Amino acid sequence: MEKRESLWEAYLRRGLSRRSFLKGCVTLTSLMGLSTDMFSKVVEAAETKPLPVVIWIHGHECTGCDESFIRSASPLASDLVLTNIALEYDHLLSAACGAPFEAHLDETITKYYGNYILCVEGAVATKESGVHCMSGGHTFLHLLDKAAKGAAAIIAYGSCSAYGGIQAAAPNPTGSAGIEHFVGGKPVVKVPGCPPIPEVMTGVVMHVALFGSVPPLDGDGRPKQFFGNRIHDTCYRRPFFDAGMFAETYDDAGSKAGWCLYKLGCRGPETYNSCGNLRWWQGMSYPIQSGAACIGCSNAHFWDEVPFSARLPQYGKIGDADKIGVALGVMTAAGVGAHAVASIIQRNSRDNLLEEEHDDK
Amino acid sequence: MKSVREVKRKEYYIFSPFLRIFHWIMAAMIVVLFITGLLITKPMNVSTTEPFFTITSMDLVRDIHFTAAFILCASLILRIYGFIVNKGDRLFPRVWEGHFYEETVDVALHYMLLKPHHASFLRNPLARMSYAALYAFLAIEILTGFAMYFMTNPSGVGGKLFGWVNTVLGSEMMSHYVHHYVAWFIILFAIGHIYMVIRAEFMEGESEVSSMFSGKKILAHTPKDAKELE
Repeated sequence: MEKRESLWEAYLRRGLSRRSFLKGCVTLTSLMGLSTDMFSKVVEAAETKPLPVVIWIHGHECTGCDESFIRSASPLASDLVLTNIALEYDHLLSAACGAPFEAHLDETITKYYGNYILCVEGAVATKESGVHCMSGGHTFLHLLDKAAKGAAAIIAYGSCSAYGGIQAAAPNPTGSAGIEHFVGGKPVVKVPGCPPIPEVMTGVVMHVALFGSVPPLDGDGRPKQFFGNRIHDTCYRRPFFDAGMFAETYDDAGSKAGWCLYKLGCRGPETYNSCGNLRWWQGMSYPIQSGAACIGCSNAHFWDEVPFSARLPQYGKIGDADKIGVALGVMTAAGVGAHAVASIIQRNSRDNLLEEEHDDK
Repeated sequence: MKSVREVKRKEYYIFSPFLRIFHWIMAAMIVVLFITGLLITKPMNVSTTEPFFTITSMDLVRDIHFTAAFILCASLILRIYGFIVNKGDRLFPRVWEGHFYEETVDVALHYMLLKPHHASFLRNPLARMSYAALYAFLAIEILTGFAMYFMTNPSGVGGKLFGWVNTVLGSEMMSHYVHHYVAWFIILFAIGHIYMVIRAEFMEGESEVSSMFSGKKILAHTPKDAKELE
């Protein structure tokens, strides 16, 4: 294996100052959700650890995660791709290269076997042996299997690779699923979201790159520092929820005043993401702040939990569970009423029969 | 019918105070939990200009819901303790005993008005089946309820104990749905239960209603399962 340079060496080669290197490390530390006393460790790792080789593959998806990724501001996506990691292969960025690049992928896998980070975007199409998602003449299922074998760590970017995504919505014609069960039993770091927050995407890969280990994960395999809280519990509109001040429609006074969007079907109370604290586009805003109810895009099965505009599923003209419940309650009450009448009639006829028998004796 | 009759009856003490107290706490808490639960799903709107504490605030409604839930769970623990120390208390029907099924069919035929009467029981097997269903509903409500409640801190003890429920159901939103739907099933059970108890009182006149206050059933017939108390 050839000598790979560290982040500090990359800074030196590009003629950047020590000061800007340290500034970069400070940004990285806070971005990875680490406390400030970890700063010296981050610097140490950045000075000594060789830049990690990254293979970035795309499956059944819209590549919207990359659209998000390239808008990362700290670190800049360009810095990350060109300086902080050694991105050897990326479907999307090198789509024009064609066959020679496919050979490069095989080369990279053999050369850095057991040492590279595998980033996966997109679901696995499983039906009909996976023919619904193919690149370079092979199914994505095949590519994932091949690339996962030698990976030191696997990161699933986006709700597609974490849980199956939009194409897994009922009736799921392509049999799309998350990558978890198609990587030979290796642990997968899930970074769900549709798309994930750009800084979360870069933060997770930098954590793996600098420390050579995956960040602390929750039970579902999501990094705790980004997915450890509900949006609801970090939402700046929470006081309106607690006080009972809700927007009823998107054009009422409550909506204009920035009240809680719970009644409009907001999924904040069920959604684990950093939208509430990290926010999007360098902390500028996030869906709820812009006045739209959260749809829970980082949750498994969010695509089937419709409508997004209500707290309960609707059943056509009948309505939601509460209407059905009231109807069933009334029907049960009517049923027991009818049963009571029938029971009394039966008892009377039984008693009359007994009395007749008694009289006969 | 004569106003005064002399009837020979036997008294059976079956329900311990643990069971009776639990029963009435559960009845009250189900009402509280159901009403506050509906209000949490579809909250009342408080129209002010600034968020402040009012009697209808979501915060208070949720606190009442959570407190009622903890009271119900605590009384359920007492109920289980009563089951251990008192012979009369029973948690689940004895489905492993063969005669249970014949007797269930017998009672069901009477309730379908196909038979004029059913055998006398201390513990009506069909009713016992419905209580087992109620306990199953309660278990689902407790599991999904805590799975939502404790996930404010998924890394905490509560989150670790109950977080798996969300994973099993597929997502946390699904826990909300299941919690809400099963609540309606419990209400449907309650309607049927109240009716059947009052009906038994009317039809057999054997202190079905008062037994949940006094713990005693006063029967004119010798019940088929009388031996279980000896």
